[in-house]
Order: sequence, then C-alpha cells, then structure tokens
Amino acid sequence: MARAKVEQQQPATGMTLIVLVGLAIAFLLFMAFLNVVKSGNLLNETNFLFATLIFYAGAGALYLGFGVTGTQSYLKFASLSTWAGLVANTAAIAHRWYESGHAPFASVYEMLLSFVWTLAVLTLVAEKKYGVKVIGTVTMPVAIVGVVLMQLLRTEVHPLVPALQSTWLHVHVTLAMLAYAACALSFALAMMFLIQDNLKTETVLAVTSASTLAVYVSIVLTRFEKWGGLNLVAWNPEVKSEVFLSKGVRLFVVVPDLGWLMTLTLLVVASPLVFYGLARWKKVVDQKDGFLTLANRAVFLSILLQVMTLVMFVLRARDGRYSSLDADGLFPTTLAASPFILSGLVGGIFISLLYLLLLWRRPDLERSLPSADNLDRITYKTICLAFPLLTLMIASGAYWANQTWGSYWSWDPKETWAAITWLVYAGYLHMRITRGWRGRRAAYFAILGFAVVMFTFFGVTYLLPGLHAYA
Amino acid sequence: MALDLRALGHKTWRTIASIQTGVVLLILVVILAAAGTVVLQRPATDPDEMQNAYSPQVLRFLDALGLTDVFHAWWFIGLLVLVSVTIIAASIDRFPNSWRYFSRPYKYPDESFRRSVRPQKSLAIADEETGLVAAERALHEMGFKPERVVRQNNFGIFAERHRISELAVYIVHASLLLIFFGTVVDGLWGWRGYLSLNEGQTSNLIDIHDGSTRTLPFSIRCDGAGQENYQDGSPKKWWSKLAVVQDGRDVQKKEIVVNDPLLYSGVRFYQASYGSNGKVDKFSLIATPSNGSGEKQEIGLTVNDSVPLDADTTVRFAEFFPDYAVRDGQVYKKSNYLENPAAHLVVTSKKAGKDFDVWFPPIEDVADNSKAPYQFQATDLKLGHYTGLQVSHEPGQWAVWSGVVLIGIGLACVFYVVHMRFWAVPVCDPKTGKCSLWIGGTANRNRDVFEQRFSDLVASVQKELKLVPRTSASEQIATFAGD
Repeated sequence: MARAKVEQQQPATGMTLIVLVGLAIAFLLFMAFLNVVKSGNLLNETNFLFATLIFYAGAGALYLGFGVTGTQSYLKFASLSTWAGLVANTAAIAHRWYESGHAPFASVYEMLLSFVWTLAVLTLVAEKKYGVKVIGTVTMPVAIVGVVLMQLLRTEVHPLVPALQSTWLHVHVTLAMLAYAACALSFALAMMFLIQDNLKTETVLAVTSASTLAVYVSIVLTRFEKWGGLNLVAWNPEVKSEVFLSKGVRLFVVVPDLGWLMTLTLLVVASPLVFYGLARWKKVVDQKDGFLTLANRAVFLSILLQVMTLVMFVLRARDGRYSSLDADGLFPTTLAASPFILSGLVGGIFISLLYLLLLWRRPDLERSLPSADNLDRITYKTICLAFPLLTLMIASGAYWANQTWGSYWSWDPKETWAAITWLVYAGYLHMRITRGWRGRRAAYFAILGFAVVMFTFFGVTYLLPGLHAYA
Repeated sequence: MALDLRALGHKTWRTIASIQTGVVLLILVVILAAAGTVVLQRPATDPDEMQNAYSPQVLRFLDALGLTDVFHAWWFIGLLVLVSVTIIAASIDRFPNSWRYFSRPYKYPDESFRRSVRPQKSLAIADEETGLVAAERALHEMGFKPERVVRQNNFGIFAERHRISELAVYIVHASLLLIFFGTVVDGLWGWRGYLSLNEGQTSNLIDIHDGSTRTLPFSIRCDGAGQENYQDGSPKKWWSKLAVVQDGRDVQKKEIVVNDPLLYSGVRFYQASYGSNGKVDKFSLIATPSNGSGEKQEIGLTVNDSVPLDADTTVRFAEFFPDYAVRDGQVYKKSNYLENPAAHLVVTSKKAGKDFDVWFPPIEDVADNSKAPYQFQATDLKLGHYTGLQVSHEPGQWAVWSGVVLIGIGLACVFYVVHMRFWAVPVCDPKTGKCSLWIGGTANRNRDVFEQRFSDLVASVQKELKLVPRTSASEQIATFAGD
C-alpha cells in the first residue's frame, strides 16, 4: 500500500525537480549575463568556467535525483546538461590553450581543467557505449568538486619551464589523464557492483568513516602545531609559488585554532566507526541496531562539522597573514599551497554524502543500477581499456624522460609508483583471466588499484620528494 | 633415487612456472619498490640531507639493510631476474599447447564437439548443398572467407579470423622480456655522466655519476651558450652551440636545447643547465683623469689584463669576486654564485710610484678610489657562462623501444583482437531423409559481444535459405525453412 502511494507521487516530484533545476540554471546564466554586460567581456575563461560549473552542477543534481527516485526523464536532461557543460569546458580549455600557448598541463589548475573534461567525456561514453546511465551520479559530483576547486586556486598562466616544452609532454599527460579517468570509472563501477552484490550498508559505513578518519588523522598528525594551530605552507604572491627556506624545504606558517578544529572534527568523524565497532562487538540484535542508528546519526553530524571545517579552512587560508616558527615576519598562505588538505576535506564530505545517499535510498539505487553480473563484466572491460593506456603512458613518459634527462628509467618515486600501479592492474588481469577471480574479489582488487592510482597521482607529488614536483 | 630427483625436478619446474609464484614475487617487488620511494635513496640524495632526515642509528640500520639504495641492490636486481625467469618458465610451459591450438585449426567438428559447443543453432534445410551455399553466402557477407572441409564421409564449412589472438599473450610477455633485456644491457654496458663546458672550451672527459671519469674518443667544444627568459623572468630556453671534434676536425655541429640532444657515436649530450661560471668575460669602463685634465677613455678589460691609460698610468684588472665578503680588512670570495660581485682594479702610477686599489663597489678600508689618478665609471660587466650537459650512452635502449612497440601490439591483440571460428555442418537423418544445418561458433574473448554476432549470422543464413530457388524434389520440405 505504502509503495503504491510512493509510486503515485513519483511523476509529480519528477517534473518539480527538472523545473527547479532548469530555473536554477536559467537564474545563474542570467546572473552571469549581467556580469558580462557589466564587464563587457563575454568570451573569457571565467565565464566559460562558470557555465561549465552551472551545467555540471545541473547534471549532477539530476543524476542524483535519478539515483534517488529512478525517474527516467531526469537522465535525459542530465545527459543534455552534461553535453552543454562539456561544450563550455572545451571552450574554456581552448581559451586557456590559446592564451598560454601550450596545452593545459602545466599547473594544478590546468590539470584539474583537463581532468573534469575527461570525466565528462567518459561519463557520456559510459552512457552511450556501455549503457551505464547512472555513472553520472559519481562522476558529475567529482567534476563539480573539481571545477569549484579550480575557482579557488590561482589561475595565472605560467609559461612552460624548458623541461615541459615537448610534444611528448602532450602525449604523456593526455595518456595519463585518460588512463586515470578510466581507472576512476572502474572504481565507480566496482563500488556499484558491491552495492548490487548486497554488501552490507554497515560495512560501507565502516569503510567510509575509516577513510574520512584517515584524512583527518593524516592532517592532524602532520600539521598540528602544539598550541592548537595548523601548519600550512606559506605562499609568495609575487612569485606565485610556495616559499622555500632552502632547496626542497618549504616554509610553514601557523594558522591559529585550525588545529583544534581539525582535532574536533577528527573525533566526530571517528564516532561512527566507534559505534560500528560497538555494534559488531555487542552481537545482541537490538543493541546492535541501537548502535548502528547512533552511528548513522553521527555520520550526519560529522558532515555538518566537516563542512564547517572546510569553510573555516578556506576563509582562513585565503585571507590573513600568519607568523612562522622558522622565519621572521608575517606570510600569507593560499589554498593552492595546500591542495592535499583541501582535496582531503572536500573528498571526505563527498564520500560521507554518498554514504547517506546509500543509507536513505538503497532500494531505489539497486533498482536503477545494472545487475551485479553486468557491472562485474563492465568493470573488467573498463580495466581492459585502462591497462593499455597505463602501459602507453609509462612508455611515453620514459621516452620523454630520455629526451630531457638522458635516462628513460631512474627509479624516481613517480616512475616507481606508476610501475607499481601498472603491476597492480596486471595482477587484476592475471587473477581474472587465469585464476577466474570474479565478483567480490575482483571488485576489491579494482578498488585497491584505484587507491594506488590516487597515491601515484597525489601522494607522490605531495608526500614524497623527487623530480616530478610539477605533476 | 633417480625417480626422486626427477619428481623433485618436476615439482620445482611446476613451482617456477606457476602463476602463483609469479604473483608472489611481484608482490615482493611492489613492497620493496615502495620502500625505495619512502626511504631516501643515496645516489640521488646528498649525504647531508640523509643525515638531517634520519638519526645515526636509523641511518646505519637502513644502510646495513640496503634500504638506502634499493634499486641497485643485488637482491632487488636478483628478484627482477627471478620474475623474468618465472615469466619465461610459464611461457615455455604453456606455449606448446597454444602452438598446437594455433597451428592446427580444428576445421571439422565431430559429434561430441557439436553437442557441447556454445553458441549453436540447427536450421532445417532442403538438402545439404542448399544449406552449405546459404552458409557460405552468409559468412561472406560477414567478411569471413569460408572454406569447404571434406572428410571421408562428411563435409562442412569452416571459417575463422584472427588466429594470432591465441598467441597474443606470448607476444606481451616476450616484449616484457625484451624490455628487461634492454635495461640489463644498459645496466652493464651503459653509462651516464656530466660535462660542464665554458664558452669556447673543449673537453672529452665525462664525470660519471658513480664518481669515475670517462675519456671519450672525441671531444666536444662549446661555441656559445645562452638563456632566454619569459616576461616574468622565469627561464624559457637554454641553448648551447656544440661541435664534435674528432682527429682535429669538426665532424658535427648542433645547437641543442632541453628536450633536443646531440647524438654522436651512440653518445647523447643533453642540455641540462646553464649558469655563470663566476668569471668575467669583459668589464667595460670609462676612465676620467681625476685632476680634470685629459679626456674620457673607454676601456674593456678581462681579468689580469693591463691597459695603459697614459704614458704614466696603467690599469690592471686584478681580481673579480662573484660573491665577496670582507673580514679584518681583507676581501674573500664567499661563493661562486653571482650574489655580491666585486671587481678589483690596480692603477699603477709611475709618477706617484705606487699602486692604487680601485674597487667596485668601493669597499671601506680597502679601496682608495678617491685617491687614484683616474676615476672609473663601470658601464658593462659581461660574465662568462658555462653550459651543463648530461651525457649518456645507452646501447640497450633499442631493445627497450622495440619492446614497447611490441607490447602495444600485443596488448591490442590480447584485448581487442578476437579469434572467432564458425562451423556449418549439414546433418541428414538417414531414416527420415530430413536434413538440418548445424551452425556453431566460438570466440576466445568478449563472448557476450560474440553471441550477438552469432545471432546475426544465424539470421543471415536464414535469409539466404529463403532466397535459394526451390528444386522440384524439395518443394515440400522447403516449407520448413526459415525456422
């Protein structure tokens, strides 16, 4: 009875959401138009990027709406919105390329620009070729986060240093973007497989809060300053780069109170995991449910706190000059100086929200996703695409290194971790093809592979030293 | 006893050739390689940085275990060799089967095969020839080349494509081994070093990274070097004009930049860096007599150069400091970097019978600028530059690049080239006289896509059967067609 009532309501809410999203897009476009009229400049990069954000945000909202309610019409409009966003994104890239004289690969801002473009392309390819229409639920929010991050980062055009002036740069980085995007896609598909394979919601709770906890633990362990401040890398606005004390040694400023905030959020983020542990330990049925309810409430609370932490972090990092323990005077910092922390905070919020989506709307999600078997197969196919791309990426990187530094393999941390990533995915293929690993084991392997990709892409640049500092 | 040894040998072979062993070894490689990125590695890191990063006990421990130079440690290289051995063993173990499969196409499916293969379909046909012709036409439509296969009592049609796909995996592993081979050759016979040349300098001595020096059978001369900057001051381009000198003759000339090296006799010279060598090319000055009489003179000096200003006075460019410091009334060279330059001129006056020390900038307690018979105004200071070249000889790189091309082809084959086979066999029941056409197919990957193709083929055969003109004897039976 209740279900019939819900079904009846669907069409009504369906139209409402589309109309709302349409109105929102129109409103934002109008605001942008006013800004254009005021400044007199229509075709600049900021406007293209703003349009990209609007359309990706619309698409993301509609994809999530589809994920939650299962209304097919959302998908059509979501797809259209993604196309529109892709056009705007391409215009932004073209403009940037023209202005700077090189392809957009020379800074974190440009890499993000390329990455969100690739995400949109892959979303549309997955829809058309593989029929996985709901992939946008994961990829579009990531793209939105990417565009928002770009708005917060510096956008100055950096001319290319001599080592980056090579065709092989374009080849290598393009292959890297494609390979990493394919790996990201396989990760999303593996996660969807786990949902369809009846992975318990509590297990997802544990993994989600553990990952978010890991982010805050790493921030607090590496950056907490004993009086409660947070150590952030200082930024020199004139030179548009970090401040270095000596070769490879960055100058840190202390931002007061942020350390306490991070620690508080860490504790709140840890609480769902604690409650989950208690639920597992107290195997008595009703008590277990009680603890799980508490855990889910704690997740909701942790999201609020994470958002507050992000806002405080952004506000403090963008304005203000802070003192340092290693040098005299006050130094500014900026978001571009702490991309790892920023990504961690944003990522934590994002995966907590995805967990809530799963918690509140699991039956609807399961209805709108393809079957577990199909997802397993498509994950495998995506990795069959990613693996040759990874191979060519490494090969082109080696050739370029040989042209620039006279050595095609120097066991540089980035090279080594790229090779490790390659070996992990080779392991996946071996286990699947020759040992017949399917289903859960294959999905876990795919997720592990993506974790290694993320470390290779971000961890090596910001946690380990080496030649690859600019990528 | 002999039997035991054989059994042991067999067991050893099975272990080496198993995928399990390969995976375990690769996991070990991954763990050790990861350790090599987390622990600071000695060849690349300065000894001072190493000592700053780790306490003495920890450093000694890491050194003892070899964790500070993982990638050149014998056990790491040995591990990689072991991985290659398992790849070779696994390939040898599996290759004979694959080769048999590859070299002997299974052209006529016997009864048990026809029972078990999937996908398959049976269509009713008028007679054997009709069925075969229809199948041939349909296969031609799909782009295959069907052939008629005749055995003693039966015949059928066979068509296949991309048989090479069965061997694709061996191509991939062989190319990996080729790449390893290339790196081994480079490890044993290749070398990498550094050469720094001042403008105009010629040298054939390379500083190898391991500390030794290598003498080349030819020399390199630097005819010029420079740096171009962007508007914001960051470097845009470093270039060097190099000439290769062999037996006293210039045999090759090239202007190199970063990313575009000079190649001669298997040795590559890469533009790595550029900077001032702390020496002066030319110091331009205007000399004016202090007492007001006489005219201004423009002079240019290099270090140790003397120029007469008049019959009585000479000026000599005595010293140049790229980075000076003063202590106890003495001027010292602090470093070779161009931070605080200072130039020391000595003006000798025969009339006064003494030397005057003129300093740029006029350093207190040391300079007699005001007392000198001439006043000097500096107009230009041209510094000498050096160009830093990375030099390498990598004889094995051709094996590496060939291996890369081959692995690209191999992977494309493994994932996207599918070995497809189709058979069509007309089967007639001797008792009832009814004939049917058995159609079967296999694909070695992407089976879901292949099932679609198979359905398309069956539909196509059905279409062809409907088009075959009816013969008088089979008119009635023809109505069964198209099922």
